[in-house]
Formats: sequence, structure tokens, C-alpha cells
Amino acid sequence: MSEVETNAAAHASGVRGADVRVSADAEQVPLIRSFAADIAMRLDFDLDAIEDVRMAVDEACSLLVRAAVPDSSLFCAFELLEDTLRVRVHVDAKSPMPPSADRMSWQILTALASSVTENVEATGDGHRVSIELVTRTGEAAAR
Amino acid sequence: MTESHATQREDARFDKLARLPDGDPRRVALRTELVEAYMDLARNLARKFDRRGDQLEDLVQVATIGLIKSIDRFEPAKGNFYGFAIPTIMGELRRHFRDTGWAVRVPRQLKELHVTVAAGRAELTQQLGRAPKPSELADHLGLTREQVYETLMAGASKEGSSLDARLAEPNGDRFGYEDDELNQVDNRRALQPLLAELTEREQKIILLRFVRGMSQADIARRVGVSQMQVSRLLTKILERLRAGLGEDSMVR
Repeated sequence: MSEVETNAAAHASGVRGADVRVSADAEQVPLIRSFAADIAMRLDFDLDAIEDVRMAVDEACSLLVRAAVPDSSLFCAFELLEDTLRVRVHVDAKSPMPPSADRMSWQILTALASSVTENVEATGDGHRVSIELVTRTGEAAAR
Repeated sequence: MTESHATQREDARFDKLARLPDGDPRRVALRTELVEAYMDLARNLARKFDRRGDQLEDLVQVATIGLIKSIDRFEPAKGNFYGFAIPTIMGELRRHFRDTGWAVRVPRQLKELHVTVAAGRAELTQQLGRAPKPSELADHLGLTREQVYETLMAGASKEGSSLDARLAEPNGDRFGYEDDELNQVDNRRALQPLLAELTEREQKIILLRFVRGMSQADIARRVGVSQMQVSRLLTKILERLRAGLGEDSMVR
């Protein structure tokens, strides 16, 4: 199951933001990862930055999929600002454990993205766990 | 391993193998013993090719075939086994890349573009001091952006991933096996807070080196320092991590 919705706000490069929903299943992560890399490529990120986006999104999705309630969905929103790609990923989880509890994965994320933030909020019967990654094009990424 | 001792002993076994007649059952046993004895050589050589994106296990298999060929063809009278085996195994690995470089059938034109784009990428990286953008590649090579996109996408599927690949994902394992890394758990746990104390640049270097397995030269290019500096930084960081762990708790 997967679903893509592009929104109307066009970016200067002709790329738009997009929302993607897939099953919260490890099997679906490569799909999102390729999607993210493709967007970064069309945003004209440099080739290293494209790889970083691919890896960061992979890590964030893998992290959340592990926490997700069975048979639920993984939501991934791509938002394009000037020279920045913002990716918000969230799932519904039973446990309120923040993603950063997985120190190794979190370490990888923070090294790959320009900034990473997490959020856990209580929903009716569980928790919504989300990760927001911000990556900038070449120059800024060449830290 | 004490080099001279091992070499002498190995040499004796090769002599013995050469003297055994073809159908002798002891031949099979000795050959197996030799293959096992030299597996580390095959593994080490395979690792040298690992960053081309192949699965290390696949490369080790190819290198092992090279090793078996070396053992079968080696003539002890003609010199040292390493001198014979290393080029043989490297040859086997190179042939593997030449023949099976593309796991997916890609139109010839795209393959050629792939070579062009790879060369352009190297040139521009040199010129710009960073990785080029697709638009820069297109301008530099006189291609349309769409052509560059297609080529980059094709490059990404140069190797297909196994249908079992997802079984390696945390949620997907279906077959139980003892993780070889299990005895590293304590070290890793202890390492995490130490890693968190590193500067952003140090973390990036460690990540590129040990998670992505990049060479020092590639890291130097990414981080924007010389290879010498990367080497020095790595040594310094590792020393600090070792000191933090306490030397005796390090397995290696």
C-alpha cells in the first residue's frame, strides 16, 4: 500500500512538496528512501548531499517502523524551501519512547542531516512519534 | 601471526599436496585445510573492493574461488604462495567486476553515459572542491538534466538488492541465527556516550569511515581536509575512544 500526494505550492526548481504514505513495514522503507533521493536530485542537491538525504531518510524511517503499531502507516511529508529539504516522518506507536533513545541510529541521523528534531505526543490510545530532518544543499552541507 | 614460521609451515603443506597423487582422498582433506588456513587472505583482499557497493559476502565468495584456484595451481618449487595467490585472487575479483558490474540490464547508451557522468563527477569534484550538483554535471558534460537524472538513477541500480535483503532489516528476520556481533554489545554500549562527546566533524569522520566504510581519501574529499589530516584525526579519535573505554575492555 502506498499513496503519493503532491501539493500545489511549486518550488522555484519546479519540484513540489509531496506527502507519501506507506505501510509501516521495513519492506516499504527503500521506496521512501528512493523517493527522497529523487527529490533531492531534482532540487539540485550536490551528489554527496543526495546520498546523505537517502541515508538519513532510510535511518529515520527504519527507526520509526520498528516502533510502529502493527498494520499501521508510515507518513512522510517532504517540504521544499529555498535551498532546504524538510522531511517529516511519523508513525503511531504504543510506546512513548523517543527515537533518540536508539543512540546509534540517532547519532547517524544527526551526522547526516543539518538538523534533526523529534516529537512524541499522546494520542487517544497510543503515541504519535515523529522525526523531522532538515537538509540543506551542497555548500551548507559541506560541514 | 609470526610470518616466517607460518610461511614455512604452509610451504611444507603445499609440497605435501603436490606429492599426493590425484585420486588420493588425503588430497581433498589437505586442500580443504589449506583453503581454510588462507581464508583470511581472501577475506582481506575482498574487503579492498568492498566500497564499490557489492555485498562483502559476495566478494568473499569470489575471492575464495580465486583462493581455491591458487591452491590448485600453485607450484611450490616456483616460489612463495602469497606471491602467486594474491595476483590470482585479485584477478578473480577484477573479473567479477568486469563481467558482473551491472546486475540489471541497462541500455547500452545509459551505460556509456554512466561512464561519462562518473568521469565528469571526478573532474568537477576536483575543480569545485566538493561534489557537483546534477545541474553542474549537465552543463559540464553538455547533457540535459533529465539525462543526468536518468544516469544517476541507473547508477543507483547498478547492483540489484537481493529479495532477501529485507530479511536483514530489524523487523524482517525470519531465520534465527546467533549474531556474530553479539559479543560486541558491551563495547558498543560503552562507546555510545563517548561518541556523543565527539565534535560534529569527528562524528562525521567516524561515521563515514566505519558505518559507510569509505576510504580515507574519500573522507578527505567529503570533509574538505587532506588525507593526511583524516588519517591523523582518525588516529587521534580512536586513541581517545580507546582511552575512554579502558584499553582492556577493547576486544581488538
